[in-house]
Amino acid sequence: MRAAVQGGTYMPVVYAVFMLLLVTFGAAVMSLEILSSNLMSPYFGGSIYIWGSIISSFMVHFSVGYVLGGHLSRRLPRISVLAALLVVCSLWVILIPAFYKPVCELISDRIADVRLGSLAAMNVIFFVPVSIMAMVSPYIIGITACRRGPTWLTAGMILFISTVGSFFGTNVTAFFLIGLFPVSRIITGLGLICLAVSLFTLALRPDRRIAR
Amino acid sequence: MKSSNAIGFILLVVGLWLFTATAAPAAADNPILYEGDSIYHHITIRQDGRERCMIFGRQRDLRQTCIDLEKPDASVFEYTSMMFAGFLFRPDAKTVCLIGLGGGYIPTVFRRHLPQVRLRTVEVDPFVEKLAKQYFGFTLPAGQTLSIDDGRQFLKKSKERYDQIWLDAFNSDYVPAHMTTKEFVQLAQSRLNEGGIVIQNLFCGNNLYDAQIATFQAVFKRVFVFEGQKSGSCIIVASDRPAFEPAEFRKQAEKWGGKIGSIDLIAESGKCRVAPVLKNAPILTDDFNPANLLLMQKK
Repeated sequence: MRAAVQGGTYMPVVYAVFMLLLVTFGAAVMSLEILSSNLMSPYFGGSIYIWGSIISSFMVHFSVGYVLGGHLSRRLPRISVLAALLVVCSLWVILIPAFYKPVCELISDRIADVRLGSLAAMNVIFFVPVSIMAMVSPYIIGITACRRGPTWLTAGMILFISTVGSFFGTNVTAFFLIGLFPVSRIITGLGLICLAVSLFTLALRPDRRIAR
Repeated sequence: MKSSNAIGFILLVVGLWLFTATAAPAAADNPILYEGDSIYHHITIRQDGRERCMIFGRQRDLRQTCIDLEKPDASVFEYTSMMFAGFLFRPDAKTVCLIGLGGGYIPTVFRRHLPQVRLRTVEVDPFVEKLAKQYFGFTLPAGQTLSIDDGRQFLKKSKERYDQIWLDAFNSDYVPAHMTTKEFVQLAQSRLNEGGIVIQNLFCGNNLYDAQIATFQAVFKRVFVFEGQKSGSCIIVASDRPAFEPAEFRKQAEKWGGKIGSIDLIAESGKCRVAPVLKNAPILTDDFNPANLLLMQKK
């Protein structure tokens, strides 16, 4: 009851949407990070350089996503806006298996240095989707701040839920999925799941269910 | 001011520690001659009696190269002897590409006993080359060249063709995953002269071995294996048109006087057989490549 007094009341479906988005995209982003090494190594080798490029590229995409997500959540504090961006992100992920080979081929032919080459390839392939995925947590934090979320839904709690998703995304991919399916199919599958979650979010119209 | 002094002191201590923490050569009675890190591996060089070994990673049993200091061309490992038996398939080979230098044992045998063969060695880690020169007497005679590059990238960029390609690239775990796939084997195939062969060094006791046999079979018309009798090492030899069949090996080996240096080709030829057809083994591709997971599944 204290929550209702101090913070806003959201319908349960809004919490469910938040959880779903945080867990799904937290998992998807780390799954992509693990899988990206399989995309890079045929073209740039399997060295520590590849991991340097992967991790640093993702960090750049995360930071861009955090800033943009925070900024947009102030301007347009609506879950539907976030979900629309996530639809774009999901479509991009679905297309990765179709375009990563020519991109890596082209870049590895033009750039002899594997460090520079893998950095360039990582950014061309992953900048758009990973930056959008990184917007999920700051966007939800922004919405709960602007539109008076319940007190238990703190920024820390939001990051925690997303990180739990990342934990599962990392381990399930590395320990099981790579052994069971081709990488291209895992990526397409991830994209389809992300697309379904984004469309489902839009269909639920969660913005109408937030009490003002 | 006090806190800035404290920070300065901490930075000084950390800086000193970093500079003094570089690997130092060990004392005379210590079997460890060198221990340190390159950008690719944790490398240890240790000597036990006359045997000096280069070891990658922390597992002490994963020895990359060992040489007998008094007889540097003697094969300490069974796999190197089996690899040289590749010459029985293609005795007239003039050009060989070796991927993976290690301590440089294989180039040493080429230098001493096969000087007519032009050997191109490809090694990804420049520090391995330095250690091979410093601790294993590795030298580059006329007729041999060394390229510092990833094996797969090297074969892709250089359009040179060879009579034999020897795959001996290992990191601290195993063969790097991107050099186990069908696309890589096809790349190696495209860099062979007519009738050329590819020789791959492996360990037999895991499911990755079966997958690699299946992968070679998906690319080459003829695939043979040499299964080690004294060790868990196996060799895959693949060709579209080998010059000689295993039945003729004995005669071929005798033409070499039975030996390359101290390697007994007649004994090695007895370990060769046609690779079995493995129905349940997956073909590894760049897209589907659970090499690391298959390696952990012991047979």
